[in-house]
Amino acid sequence: MGQYLPIIVLAVLAALFGVMTLAASHLLAPRRPSDAKEAPYECGIVPSREPPERFPVNFYIVAMLFIMFDIEIIFLYPYAIGRENLGVYGFVAIMIFSVLFFLTFVYEVARGGLDWGPVHRSRDLSADADIVSPERTSASTVRHVGLDGRPAGEEAA
Amino acid sequence: MTILAIDPLLDGDLLWTPIIIVALKVLVIFVVGLVGTMFMVWFERKMIAGMQNRVGPNKAGPFGMLQTLADGMKLIFKEGFVPDRADSLVYRLAPFLAFVPAFLVWSVLPLGGDFRDGNGGVVTWFGEETRVQLADPPVGILLVLALSSIAVYGIMLAGWSSGSKYPLLGAVRATAQMVSYEAALGLSLAAVLLAAGTLSTSGIVGAQSSLSDWHIVATGVLPFVIFMIAATAELNRPPFDLVEAEQELVGGFNTEYSAFRFALFFLAEFMNVITMSAVIVTLFLGGPQPIRFGDTTLDIPLINNGLEGTIWFLLKVFVFLYVYVWLRGTLPRLRYDQLMDFGWKVLIPVSLGWFLLLAALRVGDGQDWNAVAVTAVSLGVFAVSYLLFAAATRASERNREGATS
Repeated sequence: MGQYLPIIVLAVLAALFGVMTLAASHLLAPRRPSDAKEAPYECGIVPSREPPERFPVNFYIVAMLFIMFDIEIIFLYPYAIGRENLGVYGFVAIMIFSVLFFLTFVYEVARGGLDWGPVHRSRDLSADADIVSPERTSASTVRHVGLDGRPAGEEAA
Repeated sequence: MTILAIDPLLDGDLLWTPIIIVALKVLVIFVVGLVGTMFMVWFERKMIAGMQNRVGPNKAGPFGMLQTLADGMKLIFKEGFVPDRADSLVYRLAPFLAFVPAFLVWSVLPLGGDFRDGNGGVVTWFGEETRVQLADPPVGILLVLALSSIAVYGIMLAGWSSGSKYPLLGAVRATAQMVSYEAALGLSLAAVLLAAGTLSTSGIVGAQSSLSDWHIVATGVLPFVIFMIAATAELNRPPFDLVEAEQELVGGFNTEYSAFRFALFFLAEFMNVITMSAVIVTLFLGGPQPIRFGDTTLDIPLINNGLEGTIWFLLKVFVFLYVYVWLRGTLPRLRYDQLMDFGWKVLIPVSLGWFLLLAALRVGDGQDWNAVAVTAVSLGVFAVSYLLFAAATRASERNREGATS
């Protein structure tokens, strides 16, 4: 356990640094609480609803998938370290596991478990060709005040 | 191999000299960590300013180098309050969960030492043999992964305990992002472990004695690229900084934090940039090893090998620090669905496939299998997997179109 001792010492030191500076801040900083200051920050708008406690289910699916991948990783590391002793047997074992695992992942993707937000389609712009044509420049679409940029004959009008 | 994963200093009874050396090491790492973070913030601001044709910080100290110190001082004098909807205990605890793990990553990084000729990075200080790293536990790199997982808690709990909607959304996003890219990070790391055969950081560095042994070459560049991208996402740095997408989330998970509690998150973020660069250097670029082609070593004259290790290490780390600033100055932010798609549907399958290919080549090497045949079979397997995966993506797209129309 002696090998980990310096790590613990460093952790204590880091935590102490945080505590000490927070304590210093506590002593030195002013304290003038007000209702507006302590309300949840919503860009100046008074919050009208309780803060949300639910969020999209996709995040849970990601979390579950992560656990799956973590198991795969936990399985791979010992193999990577002990590759010499495990030989072909170990390789076949991780192959079987990885294939099963990959098929599950493919199924998950096919079921849309990793789709986010609305469908993004690139729109066909040919119908709007007039609006997006390169001929439309700031000189051709904006009517300038004054004589700048106007054809010479328009001065009378 | 087992002797590599142990700091000879801490082997056996603890005597006074080892204790003093350890205390000195802890102090030096603590100070270097804090000061380094301070200068990283300055470096980033100055560099970004240069890239954007601005002057950047130039008032506090020479070239504005003390700007971060001044900002830190200011934050100590600011009012730190707990919002009334916040969960008080968790709200106070969260900054520490982000800050302390960021610091601890330093402890397992080999910061120097002589790794030449199978020396294993051992240096002699005051008659005691030790390493230029705080601790060298046998689990080494796993500790780094564990600490980066704990840092996720810091962000998650900070957002959840604030009792406000933007921090919560930011935290949920951040957690999903960090967890996703941690899987890619772990899988690309497996390729390095396959090449090194040990988890100990000094062992990993010891395995990279010449340029062709550097894991960036030995694992075929791809794991390095994946690790680099995943690390950027782990750090929540641009272009993956959706956690603090100002336009959508105000300030992200730390919106409700003020004064020095905010500073702790800020310090943790920049310290993570430095430590992650150091981890990349350790894993892929030989850490403190000098550059060496075949038998010729690029030796810095007049400096002893132990100190030279530190110089090489710092040079390599600086490259990555600059790259991180450069990325921030150059790339626009991704959209959230693009981010998740990229992580799950590109990085993770590719890194898993690459690991299996490397493993197959290695097993084939021991069994006298034909390397060309192994590669051909692997490519066939990859093609089948790709087709399966493409079919899955098409199926999910079809389902979605059906659902929306």
